[in-house]
Amino acid sequence: MADLNEIIHQPVRLRIMAALVTLKDGDEVDFTYLRDLLDVTDGNLGAHLRKLEEAEYITVNKVFVERKPRTYVSATAEGRQVFREHVAALEAILKSK
Amino acid sequence: MNITPNEAEEALAAIQQIEQKTRHAIASSGSYITLIVTGIVWLIGFVCTQFLPEISPYIWIGLSIFGSVLGAIWGFRIGSRVRSPANTAMAKRAGLFWLFLVFYCVATIAVVQPTDGKQITVLVILFALIGHLSLGLLLSFSAVWWPLPITGLVLVSYFLLPDLFYLWMGVLGGGGMIALGLYIRYKW
Repeated sequence: MADLNEIIHQPVRLRIMAALVTLKDGDEVDFTYLRDLLDVTDGNLGAHLRKLEEAEYITVNKVFVERKPRTYVSATAEGRQVFREHVAALEAILKSK
Repeated sequence: MNITPNEAEEALAAIQQIEQKTRHAIASSGSYITLIVTGIVWLIGFVCTQFLPEISPYIWIGLSIFGSVLGAIWGFRIGSRVRSPANTAMAKRAGLFWLFLVFYCVATIAVVQPTDGKQITVLVILFALIGHLSLGLLLSFSAVWWPLPITGLVLVSYFLLPDLFYLWMGVLGGGGMIALGLYIRYKW
């Protein structure tokens, strides 16, 4: 049985990963779009993204669009795999109820 | 790390909710822009055609330019929220598709040679709706449903309310699209 992942299990990070793995492989989402989608503050989202980036579950890409800085976020292959394992572990716990 | 089955259930529910919300947000982002821009163009254009028929061709030219520019700018801003290598290739194909559709629409009008402005209008609208329906089917099922009631509205007003055709299309068609676009944007 797969183990629960402590980094991912934190509620905001769980929702971040759920949103990112819903995108197609290679797709990136804008920081502000993700913030609005999850209904969190800039600071809160930024802190949790840093944690996920340190674990190499996501990549953060800073680019210029129309001369304005934009931050794009996407799930890495490892992040997708770890998230799938975390969901499997949650389902296993639920089945053992 | 140990959690109770209830906590696992809550976590899974949160995941499901955000996955659904993300899919919804991405699928609806294009639809509401198209609906609002097209709705504004229809509302102004058809109401002017009903009451100011002599200057309506100029109004339609202006509205077409306004609609294209506004749709392109707005679409670019919304499109940049999610960057996708696959979508870039699809956007080029979609652009070509609309170009070919315009050509076939003009060719059809040239062959059929409609007798009045209403017939030309209905043909152009039906071709545009076929375009939206076809692209919707290819890209996302959530974008398919709205061209169908609009098609029904066009046909009902053309056959049953010929005298009020333009007014009906402007107020109900255009107004309806704006309302639907706003509903998708803020409530869906």
